[in-house]
Parts: sequence; C-alpha cells; structure tokens
Amino acid sequence: MTNRTNGGSPVTHPQAFHTVPTAVIAEAEQRDRYPKSSELKTLSAFFESGQKRLEIAAALTQNADKIVAAGANRIFTGGSPMAYLERPTDPIGMPGSRYYIGEDYLSANVRHRRGKGTSITQFKEPQSIDSTNTLVDQIASLFAQGRPSVPSRFRTISIAKYGTARMKRSMRDLAWFLRYVTYAMVAGDTSIITVNTRGLRGVIPEDVTLATVVALREMQWKAGQCLLPDSNAAALVKRYFEVLITDYLVEKPDDRLRIGVSKLHPGQPLPQSYYQSALPTPKLVVKPGLSETELQEAIRAAYRQVLERDVTQAYGLAASDLESKLRSGLYSMKEFVRHLGKSRLYRREFYEPFTISRVIELAHRHFLGRGLSCLEEFQTYFDVISEGGLPALVDALVDSQEYADYFGEETVPYLRGLGIEAQECRNWGPQLDLFKYSAPARKVPQFVTTFARAQKPLPDQHPYGVGNDPLEIQFGAIFPDETRHPSAQPAHFSSTSRRILISSGLQNGRRHNGHVEPNASAHLGRVPGLFGQSVFKLEPSHQPERGSHPQGPNVNLAHHSMDAVILGAYRQVFGREVFDSQRQDVAETKLKGGEITLRDFVRQLAYSRAFRQMYWENLYITKSIECIHRRLLGRPTYGRAELNRYYDIAGKAGFYALVDAIIDSPEYAQVFGDETVPYDRYLTPRGYALRSPQGPTAWGKPRHNPAIAGEWMAAQSTAQSAAQSAAQSAAQSTAQSASAVAVLDRQAEPASMAPSPVPNLAPEAAAHNGHPSSPPAAKPEPMATAAQPSEANSP
Amino acid sequence: MSLVTELILSADSEARYPAPKEIRIYQDFVKTGEQRIRIAKILAENEQRIVQNGSARFWERCPNTPSNCGNERKTASCQRDQGWYVRLIAYSILAGSERPLEEIGTVGIKEMYNNLEIPIRNIAECMRCLKEEAMSLMSEEDGAEVAPYFDLIIHSLS
Repeated sequence: MTNRTNGGSPVTHPQAFHTVPTAVIAEAEQRDRYPKSSELKTLSAFFESGQKRLEIAAALTQNADKIVAAGANRIFTGGSPMAYLERPTDPIGMPGSRYYIGEDYLSANVRHRRGKGTSITQFKEPQSIDSTNTLVDQIASLFAQGRPSVPSRFRTISIAKYGTARMKRSMRDLAWFLRYVTYAMVAGDTSIITVNTRGLRGVIPEDVTLATVVALREMQWKAGQCLLPDSNAAALVKRYFEVLITDYLVEKPDDRLRIGVSKLHPGQPLPQSYYQSALPTPKLVVKPGLSETELQEAIRAAYRQVLERDVTQAYGLAASDLESKLRSGLYSMKEFVRHLGKSRLYRREFYEPFTISRVIELAHRHFLGRGLSCLEEFQTYFDVISEGGLPALVDALVDSQEYADYFGEETVPYLRGLGIEAQECRNWGPQLDLFKYSAPARKVPQFVTTFARAQKPLPDQHPYGVGNDPLEIQFGAIFPDETRHPSAQPAHFSSTSRRILISSGLQNGRRHNGHVEPNASAHLGRVPGLFGQSVFKLEPSHQPERGSHPQGPNVNLAHHSMDAVILGAYRQVFGREVFDSQRQDVAETKLKGGEITLRDFVRQLAYSRAFRQMYWENLYITKSIECIHRRLLGRPTYGRAELNRYYDIAGKAGFYALVDAIIDSPEYAQVFGDETVPYDRYLTPRGYALRSPQGPTAWGKPRHNPAIAGEWMAAQSTAQSAAQSAAQSAAQSTAQSASAVAVLDRQAEPASMAPSPVPNLAPEAAAHNGHPSSPPAAKPEPMATAAQPSEANSP
Repeated sequence: MSLVTELILSADSEARYPAPKEIRIYQDFVKTGEQRIRIAKILAENEQRIVQNGSARFWERCPNTPSNCGNERKTASCQRDQGWYVRLIAYSILAGSERPLEEIGTVGIKEMYNNLEIPIRNIAECMRCLKEEAMSLMSEEDGAEVAPYFDLIIHSLS
C-alpha cells in the first residue's frame, strides 16, 4: 500500500550552491555568533575582486559564441556546428508576462536593440558569428601559440553521421558549460560548477567524454585568449575551467543512503550533488586532546542541540558538574548528552509543559536530529515512556542503533535536515516545523496527527489547503501570499485525484449511454438546465446559405433571434457583455452572412485582443487555462492530468493553439456542435451565488463553515424568493446568470428554479431527467459519465 | 540566500547570461561591500550596548512588560532574543538580501510570541527602540541601510 499523505508543505529554499556571502553567514549562524574577522576578510576580498570578476563575466558573455564555436569546431567536422546551437526562447507571450501584445511580433533582436540605450556600455549581447569568419578563425588558431594538444585516441566527429538531434544536444551542453563558468565567476566560488558537473561522466558514453574534454580544453584556451591583455583574468578563467574539467572527469559518486527505521519503512538515497550543494554542517567531535576553545564550542553545540539554547549565554546556568566530567574524560559526548537529557533543566523545559506525544516528538529532534518517521516508531517509544518515564525514553533513544550509527560516542548530535540526508515525504511538513527555533512553542503533537490522518479518506478540501473554495474560484494554483506563510495543511491530492463535478443536468437528456442522441426530441417538453440558463442555438434559417438544406428534424424549445445568439456568445465567451469597441464586427457579419459556423464565431471571439488580454496576459498560467476552458468548453478541468496536457500546448505552441485545442476537441463537437453557443455545464449553487448581487455574502459566510453551506443557502434563497415577486425574481435571475438573456417563452420555470438550494439539486436533476433507465448523472459520482468524453479523446 | 545567489538562480531559470540590469545591481552590491562590512562590525561590537540601552528606552515607554517584571530569567531571555535579531540583521546586511532574516527570524515570529503569551505590540515597540538605538550609533548613510531590516521585523510583527 502506498501512503500518499503528507503533513503540509512549508516552502523551503534549498541551497542550490554556495557563494561567498552565503557560506560565511551559514557558518556564523550555525554557531550562533557574528562573522569572525577572518571571515569578514574573506568577504572583503570577495567585494574587492567583484568588479574584476564582473568584467571577466562580461567579457565571457560577449565572446560566448566565439568560445563555444572554438570548442565545437575542434571536435566536429563537415559543417558548421554553431548552426545547431538553439537560442533560449523568450518567455514573452506566456500568460502573466505582462508584455504588451505588440511585443509578440517584435523579434528578440529588435527588442534588445531598443533596450540597448539604457544598458551599460561594457556589457553586450553575445555576438553571433557567421560561418565564413569561423573558417578564418580556425585557420588562424591552427598557428596560434599555446593551443592544447589532443590525445592520440581522439577522432573528430562527422556532423552528418552524428545526426541533428545529437548535434543539438551537444551544442546545448557546450554552451551550458560556458554559462556555468560565467555564473561561477559571478559567484566567486566554484561550488556551482562542482555541484552540477561532478559525476556527469557516468551518464555519457566514454568516447563522448573524451571529445567533450577536448572541446572544453579548447574553450579554456579560447577564453584565455579572449581575456589575454589581462593575464590575471586569463589565469582566473583558466582555473575555473580546470575545476570544471576535473569535476567532469570524476566518476559519479554514490548516493548517500539514509537508513530506514524498519522493513516497512526502508531508507532513501540522497544524490551526492544535493549533499554537496547544501551548506556544510559543522560536525563537532569531542576527543581527548582538544584545545579549550574547541571543547567549549562542542559543549555549546551540545547545549544548543539538546536544550535548544545556549544555556551559558542565556541564563548563566551551566551543568558545571557534567561539564567537568566531560572535560576530565570521565564522560564521552554520548554520556554527556544522555545526562543532559535526564537533567532537571531538560525535564522542566521539554517534559513538563507538553503532552506525552509531543515530548516524544521533541526528544527525537534533540537526540536523533530528526522527526518521527512512522506510526510504528511512535508506538514503540510511547510504550517506553509510559513504562519508564522520561529517563527511559532518553536511554532508549541514546542507546538506539541509529544514534550509534550517526553520532557514535564522540560526535555532538546535529539536525539531519535538508541537504544532509534524504527527507521523508510523509513527515515533511512536521519535520521542517520541528527543526525551527519556534518548535517548543507548539504544544500540540504534529506527527501523530499527520499519521492518523493518513488512514482517513480524502477530505473535502482544496488541494492547497485554506478553505473550501468553490469551484468557480479554485484554480489549483498557488497564491503568492499564502505560500509565503502557509498556515493550513493541504490535502493529499495527487495527479490522479479528480474533481467531482456536479452536472447541472443540461446534458442529461442529450446523452444516452454515453453518446449524443441523434434525435433531440428526447427532452421535448422539459426545460434544459437549472438556474435559468438558456441554450442558444443557431437555427438553419438564420443563415441564408445553410437554410436552403435543413439538416434533419430540428426540434427546439427556444427560438432566438440572430442578435440574441450573438449576444449570448459574447456573454459566454467574455463572461459579460462587451463594449462596442470590443465587438468583433467582421466575425459577426460573416456569421450573419453564413460564411462561418457559430463554432468558428466563438473561435474568432476567443482569438480577439480583448479576450486575450482578459484571460491570458494578466493571469498566471493555471488560472488562465482554467478560465479559458470554462469559457469555451463550459466546464472546469477535471484535474491535474488534463491540465498537464494544456500546459504542454500552452508552453510549446502558445495561446492560439490552446484555443484551437479546446474548440476543436471532440468534446466540444459532441456537446455543442457547430450550432450551439457554449454554456456552463457544471454550475454549482455556490458558483451561482458568487455571481449574484448578494454573491460575496452568500459564499463568504459559509466559507468558514462549509458543512452548513447548503442549509444556509437554502434559507437564504427561500427568504429571498419570499421577499420578491415572481416577476422581479425572473428579471433578476436573467440578469444574474452569465449566459442567459431574456428568457423567451418560459419565464415561469427558470424563475422558480433559480434559487434552488443545494440539497435538492440531485433529486431535481433526476426528476428532470425523466429516464428511469438513464445513468443518474447527478449523483455524487458523476465523474463516471462526465469523464467519458475526455477519456475518449486521449490517445 | 544572498543577492548573488538570487541573481544567478534567476538567470539560470531562463538559461541566459546575467542581464545588464542584474549586472548593475550586482555592481552596486560589490561597491557597497566595504560599507556593509563596516555596518556588520558596528552591530557586532555594539550588540550589548544596543540591547541594554534599547531595553532601557523600551522600559521607559512600556514599563509593564514581561522583561521588566523583575523575573531575571524573563529579562535574560528577552534580551537574548533582542541580541539575536540584531545579529540576524547583520547577516542580512552582509548578504544584501532580506532572505536570511526572513528564513531564520521572521517567518512564524508572530505565532511564536503569541504562543509564549508575550504581547506582540510590546515586541514591536521594543524593536523600534532597538532600531533607534542602532541608528544613533552610525552615520546617516549606514543607518539608511540598516533601517529597512528593522522595519521588516516590525512589519512582520504587526
């Protein structure tokens, strides 16, 4: 059985590599002191050399193409390898980029030329090289001094034989190496190179490795040449490349394995590069023959680990007796830690104020440097503490195999957090919380509750926590403020979880056993839909050309004028009536003239500048896709799997392809066809309330208590309908719903339907269905029917 | 997380070389390096003084507060926290980024003090006193560098 729960996902910023300032600060922070004067000197040197390094980085950037070309020309023959180098694409045109749309049509070069005026002079965009030049360069470089020689085993690679795909990859990698050298130059530390290249050799075939090294050597030489007037700079660049080549040649180091607590919960590997990129944790060891300052530091570290504070500094308290025993060698560090755990101070700080469950959690942090791993582990230690009390718990932890493996007799325990070893998913959130300085301020156990929740079914909750947002404003994305200080626990939704969409009953009559009925007369005499929605359909008679050959029996309840249909389309696609300037006159004329179908008309509306601005340019991508999907296809997306497909389209092909993908989908054809204006197919009572003039109050109040939402809304709507006359409520319901215009020949029904409360939704929909044999689509598991079209679509 | 790290990460996420604008930011950072180190040194050397004088000023304004209730242990832990924040600010100044302060210090600060039943308003006032005290020790130019970090703590407390 896989356990998919987690205990919340606090945001973490794992260290990706270090720079001089981060390393200094981390070192000082872990020892609770200000940076030492030696460290400040390092920093000072870093700042002083900054200008120099920046100039080097600028020079490398400017000559980037030349350098990469030199490396590539050395190893490839029979063509121009630079032709295979792809430039990074601009993020412009993606939702949220907030660029003016006109920018889409400007090429990157034009934009850069415009921006040039403000950029500093010494920093230029990489120059591109034309191929004739490279040839001259190549010949010139043959006679240049100091050019690295190639090993005899090396054979040049023919571009034609090597293939386009592999060529592209090779060129990308060569450019990548140079870019990372530039970054390292800016950072003033080679850590970024080491983290990213060590062990690359293991993933690349041996002959390619040889060629890569030849190319890198050539690049190293070329970069030196570019900086030549300044020999110091050239030497520095050379050194950085040397680090790169050395690290590239090292065998891939093994993963670091974290030992599991039981057979049920085995250990996990941590890739070596993660370990390297993390900031070094000082591991203090107490051995005989340590100097006084080192011993003092180790003792303080032990206090910080076990008592979470430097007792000597804060209270002037010290376990002087224990300390002297440690100093004299009577106690090892392990014994010292054990006795600290049994001391009066520990009992007062971490035992007396807490419940037993929390005591166990905190003790794991203090003595093992991690949080509880699983429920079985908790139960074991709960047994121990209930039989023997706190001393027994301390003994059990300190005597455990894990303590011996990690800390042994001499090492001071330390926190085994991010970057030190692999972290478990199931206690991720609680563990990060536990490592914080504020952990003892929390009195409630956190791990046990998380493990307990693992055994319960999925809660009715938004995947990212914080309230039960109604479908209408739930976009499956992370909102900036809430992630900065996330306060709630997310539910354990995964890519396979799907939304439950309650059907509004509109298509119940249309679909029979999963396919559209050829004859729409099945719902003759019934009103499609709840909430006063009406369906706009283009009649054949509307369009002069199509009217001449009617397509089969066409039984419709609602007869709308052409203008009403167009207005309805605007309402559905834009979510409101548009301003005159935003109307698509050309498309309207074409539609009226019968040149395009209604489906194409909807497509034109979605293509328009106004639509793009509304739903694409200013939103983040998930919300953008969600909104467009809802507008054009009339339903929210089912879940992450479906969204992923749209991400793919949006990222690779852009906005217009996304619109096309939705409008050309089989689901669109099946549900709306060529003639019908899209309508909301899954309008929930709460979503409906959101749109009403009383909307914000209607959903704002039950928000904090979702359990009573249905009752509350029922009460609200009956009160409302009692207060208003039938005519008023009819007018209101038409104004409220996004897609309805004047309800033509059936005012009475929609008006009474509109305030339909939640609990009645299912029976009503079933009653309207009128098919005893047809699938009950409004039950809590309508996914079965609703999902079919999308599943049928997926190849 | 320092300014340099942020810069590189953002360039890397778009697979490009550092942009001219970023380079300019970085140049400023490098140029003010000496000043940053100077400020950090002032804070390090005067931590005790800032905390002591700041506390005195704070007790004048808010005589009724846990650190002034006569319980020595409470006074000590409050002053320890104050010194702690002064140190975090020194880190942040060196890194040129508010991230160290945020990650180690201010995330969850409110919840923590609420849990410890220490009035938030008093702590914010106390931070203000520390800020004034620290500012009085340095030139106007240096003070302008330090003030935003104190303000960040005060802001996250309110």
